[in-house]
Amino acid sequence: MPTNASAKNPPEERLVNLVVALVATDQGLTKDTILTSVSGYREQSEAGASKDALEKMFERDKESLRRLGVPIETIGDWADPDDLREARYRVPTAEYELPEDITFTPAELALLNLAGGVWSESSMSAEARSGLRKIRALGIAVGEPIIGYSPRISLREPSFAALQQAIELSRVVTFPYLKPGEAAPRTRRVQPLALVEYEGRWHVFGVDLDAAADRTFLLSRIVDDVTVTREGFDPSLRDGAGERALAGLDEVASRNRALLEVNPGSEAALRLSRRALPADQGIHVPYVDVHVFAGELASYGPEVRVVEPPELRDQVIARLEAARGAHGGSA
Amino acid sequence: MIARKPLIATDRAALMLQLVPYLIGKGEVSIAEAADEFDVTPDQMRAMVVTLTVIGLPGDGGYWQMSNDLFDIDWDLLDERDIVVITNSVGLERAPKLTAREAAALLTGLQLARAIPGVGDTELFAGLLAKLARGASSTPADVILAPGPVDAVRDAVAEALSRGVAVSFTYKAPDAAPTTRTVDPVKVLIATGEWYLQGWCHLREAMRTFHLDRVSDLELTGIAIEHGEDPIPEWFETGGGDIVARIRFPESVAPLLGDYLDRAKIETVDRMSTATMHVADEYSLRRLACRRAGVVEIIEPESARRAAAAWAEAGLVQYR
Repeated sequence: MPTNASAKNPPEERLVNLVVALVATDQGLTKDTILTSVSGYREQSEAGASKDALEKMFERDKESLRRLGVPIETIGDWADPDDLREARYRVPTAEYELPEDITFTPAELALLNLAGGVWSESSMSAEARSGLRKIRALGIAVGEPIIGYSPRISLREPSFAALQQAIELSRVVTFPYLKPGEAAPRTRRVQPLALVEYEGRWHVFGVDLDAAADRTFLLSRIVDDVTVTREGFDPSLRDGAGERALAGLDEVASRNRALLEVNPGSEAALRLSRRALPADQGIHVPYVDVHVFAGELASYGPEVRVVEPPELRDQVIARLEAARGAHGGSA
Repeated sequence: MIARKPLIATDRAALMLQLVPYLIGKGEVSIAEAADEFDVTPDQMRAMVVTLTVIGLPGDGGYWQMSNDLFDIDWDLLDERDIVVITNSVGLERAPKLTAREAAALLTGLQLARAIPGVGDTELFAGLLAKLARGASSTPADVILAPGPVDAVRDAVAEALSRGVAVSFTYKAPDAAPTTRTVDPVKVLIATGEWYLQGWCHLREAMRTFHLDRVSDLELTGIAIEHGEDPIPEWFETGGGDIVARIRFPESVAPLLGDYLDRAKIETVDRMSTATMHVADEYSLRRLACRRAGVVEIIEPESARRAAAAWAEAGLVQYR
């Protein structure tokens, strides 16, 4: 007999054996049955591993599989649902498998292939490929590939993954958030509800628990790790959150409107005119965030002049003065 | 190309769960093709297939995992021709549901694909969104892309691509005089809401990338494209200049600098980073220096520092 059973049976074998066993059972398997019969546990049981250690291993495996989306159901004692000694475990086929009635047309598959290719260099790229693999395993012919387009989403903010996980789990997050003009970051406690890319920047929309109100945060201003706390919230808050976040940003943009004068034919004119509405003298351009917009306008240097609002004009002037000072111009 | 990262046990288990339905769906597939589909090396794929044959139903009463309880493959085909065929299956035949994150990755991608003129109609997208939602094991996080503005130039480029004809337009590169171009369209790149046209430029007689915001007076010509098969340049051909520039910034703002750093060499000491990059001329960094004033400093060349200071001063003059 092998003295080191765990070395002989790699954990992935045990995990997959467990799934096969739990999918195959209708009435469920007790923990005892699993630990003494499913390959990976059985060998360690026979080699004399302690029941405690095996049970802990089973708990960890259940967690790992649930993270993979494998729905492990616990059927308790109906007389005493809290008594898990006689609990049975199973994976209901209907919950585990892609539903039989979901099929994809060749045209849909071609579109999904394009959609799955948009994530460059981020972990979302692997997720998209994995999802596509599952769909392709349904054995559907792919339609004519969509050529001529290479859409990309860039995702450079390290906080994205933790925020997405917290949304999936409906858990409160905390993160240090540095607002421009403030000397130090302040920790925010937020129920995160949706991630939104708006004007090329990623935002998280949610309920700021200290302000007790909906707030939208720029991911680029989250200056350190996001902590996913153990505190949960009502998942129904997530319903329609993406739409609400978009509507909120649109509303802010319509409220903030700059009056600008631009040099015709310049870079500023090209880049701003797409967003602009004509004004009597110059153009009106809506914006979401005064600091972000002031940065863009400062980059145009002499190509644009801010007429109003004064706050935006002051921000642009401050940036230009700082840039001139930093590069040896007279202050 | 996708980087092949080392896999942990849970990742390998996830792949095994996808492997069975894939192999059954294929009926017969080479190790090389399967490895490609799963983003693993052929050796890793072979190991996964071999592992599969020790997996199966528990069995009972002391008759653990008899051969009928286990997955099996045609060993001769594997050994002699590197081909995988499952000969005994004990479950897992249909693909698992998508995880919330897999569904989110595809749903968000679809929002971007939807912006492309002529690719699918509203009904097709609505149907796909519903199927992905139903095919997910739990509710995906909302990851939303705000729709971009409707744009006649984009529609016209899409039309030219599908008809295979050249386009002519006025192009205004930053800090340069406008030029008139005739271009065989080859590909449209879409990134952070910006559209770029890649194609064969008749004026430069080479493949070029054009930012569509800088394109005006675009018209379709009757000239059929001739250079559609030519190799196209890399995604972003930033850099490419002769001047070596260095900029300094706090490490934490690197995500804000985006494309500028794609080709740069970055060194970080005490949370301050210095990036060395090639730029076309001394003017190319002045816009960045003003946008990120107080955060990004151009260190060299001296001419670029002067250009940034002069650019800022020219902006300030307007407010006196």
